[in-house]
Amino acid sequence: MINRRNMLQGMAAGVGAAVGASMLPNQASAASSARGGPKRIIFFMQNQGFDPATCIPKGMTSNSSLAKAKLPEPIEALEPYKERLHIINGLHGVHTSPSHSAFFGALGGYRGSDGVPPSASTIDYELSKALPQTLLPHLCIGMDSIENMTTKPTIANLSASGAGQPIFMHSNPNHLYQMLYGGISSGDIRLQHEARSNVMNQIEKLAAAKGYALPSTDQQRYDQFVQGFKDTNGLRERLDTVSGHLRKFAPEVDERYTKPEFETDWHDVLLDLGVSAITSGITNTLTIGSGRGEIFGAWKGLGIEQQGHNLGHMKQPDNPIWIKIRQYNSRMLVRIMETLDSVPEGSGSMMDNTLIVYTSNNANAQHTNGANWPVMLLGNCGGIFKTGCFTQLDGKRPINALYTTLLQTAGQNIDRFNMNDKLAKKFDAGNGPLAEVLA
Amino acid sequence: MVWVTPGVNTVRIVSALLISLCLLSVASAETYTPGQKVSKSFGKFAQQFLASHCVDCHGTEEPEGNLSLDKLGRVDEVNAAIWTAVWAQVTLKEMPPQDADQPKVIERLQFADWIVGELTRVMRDKGGFQAHLDPNKGNFVDHDLLFGPLPDGIKLEPTSSPGRLWRVTPQEHVTRLNELINREPDYDPEKPGLRTRGDVVPTNHGGELKIYFGTDRIIKWQGGTVAYATSVKSMPAILSSARKHGLENYPDFYTVNSAEATQIMSLAGDILRYMAYGPLSIANPEQITDDPNTYKIEGDLRGLPTALVYSKKIKRPLTPVYDLMKEEGVSEESLRAAVDYLFEALTFRRPSEKESDNYLEIVQQSVDKLGKEDGAVLGLSSIFLDRDALFRPELTDNGKPDQHGRVMLQDWELGLAVNHALRYIQPDDELRTSIVEGRMRTKVDVKREVERMLADASVRKPRILRFFRDYFDYDLGGYICKDSRALGETGASNRGTSHYRAMFDATASTDRLVELILEEDKDVLKQLLTTDKVVVTRSDNVYFGRKRTKEEVAESVAAVKRAEAEASKAEAAELEAAEKALADLEELLKANPDEARRKKKELTDAKRAVTAAQKKLAAAKKKKRSNVNHNVSVASLNGPKIFARVSRRSFGNGSMKPDRILAKAPEDQRLGILTHPSWLVSHSDAMDNHAILRGRWIRERLLGGGIPDVPITVDAMLPDEPKNTLRERMRVTRETYCWTCHQKMDPLGLPFEMFNHAGLYRETELDKPVDTTGEIIDSGDSTIDGEVSNALELIDRLAHSTRVEQVFVRHAFRFWMGRNETINDAPVLQAAHKAYRDNGGSMKALLTSLLTSDAFIYRRVEHR
Repeated sequence: MINRRNMLQGMAAGVGAAVGASMLPNQASAASSARGGPKRIIFFMQNQGFDPATCIPKGMTSNSSLAKAKLPEPIEALEPYKERLHIINGLHGVHTSPSHSAFFGALGGYRGSDGVPPSASTIDYELSKALPQTLLPHLCIGMDSIENMTTKPTIANLSASGAGQPIFMHSNPNHLYQMLYGGISSGDIRLQHEARSNVMNQIEKLAAAKGYALPSTDQQRYDQFVQGFKDTNGLRERLDTVSGHLRKFAPEVDERYTKPEFETDWHDVLLDLGVSAITSGITNTLTIGSGRGEIFGAWKGLGIEQQGHNLGHMKQPDNPIWIKIRQYNSRMLVRIMETLDSVPEGSGSMMDNTLIVYTSNNANAQHTNGANWPVMLLGNCGGIFKTGCFTQLDGKRPINALYTTLLQTAGQNIDRFNMNDKLAKKFDAGNGPLAEVLA
Repeated sequence: MVWVTPGVNTVRIVSALLISLCLLSVASAETYTPGQKVSKSFGKFAQQFLASHCVDCHGTEEPEGNLSLDKLGRVDEVNAAIWTAVWAQVTLKEMPPQDADQPKVIERLQFADWIVGELTRVMRDKGGFQAHLDPNKGNFVDHDLLFGPLPDGIKLEPTSSPGRLWRVTPQEHVTRLNELINREPDYDPEKPGLRTRGDVVPTNHGGELKIYFGTDRIIKWQGGTVAYATSVKSMPAILSSARKHGLENYPDFYTVNSAEATQIMSLAGDILRYMAYGPLSIANPEQITDDPNTYKIEGDLRGLPTALVYSKKIKRPLTPVYDLMKEEGVSEESLRAAVDYLFEALTFRRPSEKESDNYLEIVQQSVDKLGKEDGAVLGLSSIFLDRDALFRPELTDNGKPDQHGRVMLQDWELGLAVNHALRYIQPDDELRTSIVEGRMRTKVDVKREVERMLADASVRKPRILRFFRDYFDYDLGGYICKDSRALGETGASNRGTSHYRAMFDATASTDRLVELILEEDKDVLKQLLTTDKVVVTRSDNVYFGRKRTKEEVAESVAAVKRAEAEASKAEAAELEAAEKALADLEELLKANPDEARRKKKELTDAKRAVTAAQKKLAAAKKKKRSNVNHNVSVASLNGPKIFARVSRRSFGNGSMKPDRILAKAPEDQRLGILTHPSWLVSHSDAMDNHAILRGRWIRERLLGGGIPDVPITVDAMLPDEPKNTLRERMRVTRETYCWTCHQKMDPLGLPFEMFNHAGLYRETELDKPVDTTGEIIDSGDSTIDGEVSNALELIDRLAHSTRVEQVFVRHAFRFWMGRNETINDAPVLQAAHKAYRDNGGSMKALLTSLLTSDAFIYRRVEHR
């Protein structure tokens, strides 16, 4: 069935976005839980696996505070932020078949593999529905080699709104800019935006004309088709009314958009766009796919000549290549936090109500059975999440349990996420949220 | 779905609903016309019915099932669930119980119609009431009223189907778009079964339905399977179907939401660019060459689009879109040609003058704004979102109603309805000419075109195959996520994705078997249920094999060890002999150094012999370790080589192979496709067989029975007892309040315990002889009721039942009409069944009858 969120989801995957005044961040509704809780969540999925040795302080094997620990070199950029950090080791995802990437299964908590369609919605989509409403509930961006981002500017590997319903991630920053900020753009992007707006308006008119005098049984169903265009176009028009607000957050288009020297130029501006969608109140959920959920990816801008699958075959600890990639990730995490820190919200900042989930779509390694799935959480969201610590779990609870926790903090009364009781008997030693994550 | 073990007393609400009744005198002398609104009030009719038939048991004092109906008021939002349960129980004749006085047929029908009418009215703005429209509830219509004599007082009206918009299916949409950028091979009568133009786009190696760009021109790539899969450009199906089982696509199921619309717009741009520029739209010029050596792939490009080399030979269709983008500048003529071409390619009909003008204007405006290249692509993309590119209208705008208020489809609407009944691509030349020349206006016209297309194997008819997939549900095996350990215990491989690949292969194999039976067109249903033919790959020797008993496994292990020891002994002896010969020679040379020169070659040969013997010994040991599957006595499936339809290469070399063997299944172990791994695994779960699901399938799809929805209060779990068999664990379904429904399913599913959950035949379960008994209970055909010893006996009995044949016809009706049957459709169903029987079980005759019926040809449009 169509609902407004489904409708808006479409724009996150396509064209013609806009923002309504009521969706501005300062007016976002209260957090969903009386104890606090996130108003927005960012998932950062680095491909090729997340070796725990690249994030757990040396010698730390059991639950500990991070206060006196020194973070390992790959994530040392997070050192000033470690009071916000929770490193979790020992979740599992053996049921997701994560070797060579679990694809949709990484965020869905179900079996995934190359070419396997999503069997249910993913956590980011579900959270986007549960968190305080924004204009676009969900935005996905994907970072890859420049060749892949150019020839396949949208691709769907990680997120889904339901069984067989993939959500596309954006990889061409020019297209994404047009989608988010076409109404305040200039030059070629402006022209593209105007032309597309015109076409979409005409499509709406033609669609409406063909809906005249349908049988009553079909009228409602067809009206939903037409309404989708009406809403898309209507929202885009409303964009103009808040252009002043959006200008405060929209990144400036520079040569990195049009003449990138390396793929990392696009990675950087994609991140800027994604974060701006959060700060401007356009979206409440951002999914970042570094490597786009596959087993390739490139980071030549970091001086890494190797690309693709070989990166996954390398051991990550003490590997200069993986130190560079993880450091790059960490700098991105810092940029996200600094940006959100700079936006006031309530008596604090936007970051106070934001959770960042950093992990991999490949569990702990490229070739893995998923017995260990390390995760880093950043942010305490009004004190609801435990921070400044390392937690070692016993490998008996699945990533689904973490996702259950997130949904509960977003106000959803569920005990399990995408795991029926029968599977839970085999794959989950507990029930409900991960107590170890909550403060 | 496992429906057992109630948690609270309210579980009884449905299962013990309306148990005792008092008498109601119904002197129903009035005439009942199915489908007409029941203009009766709650107080004078429904409340009376409840009081007469229900309240004695479901009163205030200790009501059965803890459900009191004496205060059940008019239908409203709050009590809608109770009324829905009452509707289901009364419609299915579950209530009143068999030992109570029954309402007259007409009274029961009117009561059911009244509830549906009220629920529809009350729930209109609250999510609607659709239960009666669900194909899984199609059997709620009494089978005997459809195929038996009608009681006095029931007057049928000439049937028709509603005017409607029918959203295209995901398969249809993908196949339609694929036509724009890929040219599939023509039908080759020498190699039937290979994918050809007009067949549905098959799912890829992982079971995903995708459009691939340019794979027919890739002649070289760097890397292996996953690298290839990542490098090629593909796009998943955008339209979706939410259903996993059964008939998936009634017209009133789906619309197109804005998420899908915006994605279609994006995909349209990619398609249009490929139509215009071919691989140049996704690759650099130097990658397009007939001499792959001229394109130097330097460094590791695996997974990148630049890791591919495309041939120069143009394979895609060259269309007016190509002409438009190739020519200098822009002319109205070429723009209109592109608009008109695309419109017909996407909607399957010519645009009206106004439609052509509208889209031409959009394209011209875009070109003015953005220039030719970007403007034409953007403007033409709009056609992909035309209503008729996504929905197929059957609105009969131009016809005149007959005396019954029905309007006959004609011209394009009738032609496209016939085309859609069989095909996913545009009407062929003959049908198109018939439409254009005004020869698609009568039943005779329909019969002519249907019979022509059915007789021509080169006219591919994927929609027929789709019906059999929807009906049998044999295409789900690759999507059933198996627990790795549980899978390993079946005897099937649990390494990597081999099981899932095998299941997708099995789906394609079963498709081909269905087609072979359709080609013969004799006793089609009976053949499908009882054939001994199987279409297989090499890995099916395991899946069609027999799971060994514990003793046999031990014997196999021991035998291998013995053989290994024997082989090792022989190899070791050979090595020993070689080593001795070498030692002797070296001794000789030591004693006679002068001989060294003369014996040099002999010494080299002796050393080589030792090395060779060492390798032989090591190889023998390795071979023994890796290749033996002790758990399975593999089948020996042999026969002529044939082909099955598979996707274009989506995963590098070695994937998606069409080669198959047409073999005979192992005797006394298999009988028809219900005993093939594709069906068995499709009706299994992660850990075990799904006897309830299998039983439900037989109850609904073969016996035409209805199963009420499970009460939401039921705890749907079987006990977790690893040391007990599934049958033993299913004892909980025999609790009184569960058994009412479960007796319709469980005894029909349990005979399939002769197979494990990967589809292998077995004689033991948990090291004890497996119990494969079952029973057909209250089937509606008393000649087949009774106990059965195993699935083969069950199937054989079902295959000879006339009722089963009729139920098959009912499902075919639903699929092709896109709606549930009503009693008014009885003449259509009877005629279709007669056609099937009179022609020796011919699917072609059945289809011709259905597609020339009033239900297919006439539409009734209400409340415009």
